[in-house]
Amino acid sequence: MEKGGRRKFLGICLGGCVAGIAAAVLYPVYRYLAPRSGSGATARVEIPEKDVPEGEAKFFEYGGSSAVLVRKRDGSLVALSAVCTHLGCIVQWEKDTQGFLCPCHAGHYTPDGVVTSGPPPKPLTKLPFTVANGSIRIG
Amino acid sequence: MILLKRLIDWIDVRVGVREVVEKELTGYLLPRNINTWFSMGSVLLVIFGIQVLSGILLLIYYVPDADKAFKSVTSIMNDVPFGWLIRMCHAVGSNTMVVVLLLHMLSVLFMGSYKRPRELNWLTGFILFTMVQGISLTGYLLPWSQLSFWATTVATNSANAIPVVGPALVEFLRGSKLVGPATLGRFFALHVALIPAGMIALIGAHLFFLKRTGVSTPPFGLQNTTNQWQGDSYHHEDHPGGIPFFPNYAMEDLRSIFIYLACFLAVVFFDPYLFFPKDAFIPANSLVTPAHIKPEWYFLANYQVLKIFPNELIGLTLQGAAMTFLALLPFVDRGKECHPLKRPLFLLCAIGGLLLWIGLTIWGHYS
Ligand code: HEM
Ligand code: FES
Repeated sequence: MEKGGRRKFLGICLGGCVAGIAAAVLYPVYRYLAPRSGSGATARVEIPEKDVPEGEAKFFEYGGSSAVLVRKRDGSLVALSAVCTHLGCIVQWEKDTQGFLCPCHAGHYTPDGVVTSGPPPKPLTKLPFTVANGSIRIG
Repeated sequence: MILLKRLIDWIDVRVGVREVVEKELTGYLLPRNINTWFSMGSVLLVIFGIQVLSGILLLIYYVPDADKAFKSVTSIMNDVPFGWLIRMCHAVGSNTMVVVLLLHMLSVLFMGSYKRPRELNWLTGFILFTMVQGISLTGYLLPWSQLSFWATTVATNSANAIPVVGPALVEFLRGSKLVGPATLGRFFALHVALIPAGMIALIGAHLFFLKRTGVSTPPFGLQNTTNQWQGDSYHHEDHPGGIPFFPNYAMEDLRSIFIYLACFLAVVFFDPYLFFPKDAFIPANSLVTPAHIKPEWYFLANYQVLKIFPNELIGLTLQGAAMTFLALLPFVDRGKECHPLKRPLFLLCAIGGLLLWIGLTIWGHYS
């Protein structure tokens, strides 16, 4: 056997054992700490039509995040993600001005989610919905 | 490899690490006749580390609120991935720690290493032992099961026997007249903050004393087995010509640690509920006392002593006296001889005491 071959071989075996033990400890700890997705993420949300009167907005949980339904003055409905596209604060509905305001850095959006002023780079994400039998179904 | 050497060189010229390694590891010499029992301390350090780490992980999902504690523990066991593993490591580890602690104490006793100049080592060790008991007792309440609730009720109630202050003390320990949400709050703080911090400080002191005095020479295989300490001036006990701590004794430490881990994991994987009576799976109910409420195995002797004597004060006093005697043992037993077979009185008392403890434990288990 070449010089030091045995030492090297045993060193590799030892390294392998240590790596194996480390993996056996770290994997369960990682799984324990990892956020658990899945539950509720794909669930649909149903909201009765009468909960969203004209000119008002209704906030709700959707897909693990916040969303909002607005009925504009013309009676049409819009469903949006309520997460500001700037740094992720939750926008607020301003009834007097009929628009969204993000309180964090004063981003303004129209009821359709289009940015009118402030730092947000993109409009609010639109969510798909259907209306049937007096109930609004999002998702 | 070359990079690693250059990194070490870089650190070495600045802080002289090679000198530290030389002095504390490769040049740290232990008695030639050192044995495996001296590795129990290292095993205990590893166990303490595992308890701290698994405890921190449990804190992520555990909720210290009387209405939610039991549910949060159930969810750790059933919903959180590998939550069962973390919890079982913590619960089983608390029991195996006591086993190893007893082995450590017994070996120190039989090899006479508690004798002067190591009284402070023994004393800090003994305080650590009571802290381990305290941390177990407070941890037992946290799952808020029937077992938790009633074992704590009984344990805190025993302080009632103390004259004059007893009832006030019980109420102070519980934070209310009966065990309840107030008790959970204070036991939680003790279990996760105060006692662990105190243990870290005491382990530091324990190791400091060990380092300053030097490791004792075991009394086996020697002509002269008496303690050579003069007591006139400070003197570090060196062992010229001894075995290097690194790598020789470190290997022995590692062997003991792995044997321990094998036993520990065998319980965790093959008999995790070994230490769990069935009341541990029922949520606490302050209006229904379960039939056979018993403390953990290592408190069974204490439990049985309290049961034997119709007057609780006698039982409590006897236990207090026994603990005080053990704590002060190095100041009572001042003989120079260390070999157990050359200390007949010690041997008689030690074996008698051990048998008494085992007997009371078994009695407590079946009573
Ligand atoms: C959390 C618990 C404890 C830890 C982590 C711990 C750790 C250690 C360590 C690492 C050593 C050096 C190696 C050895 O001799 O085993 C040691 C020595 C010692 N321990 Fe402990 N110990 C603990 C509890 C105790 C208890 C409860 C006692 C007795 C009441 C005790 C008494 C001693 C004595 C007298 C020595 C000196 C042994 C000698 O130099 O020969 N220890 N401990
Ligand atoms: S996060 Fe909404 S404006 Fe900055």
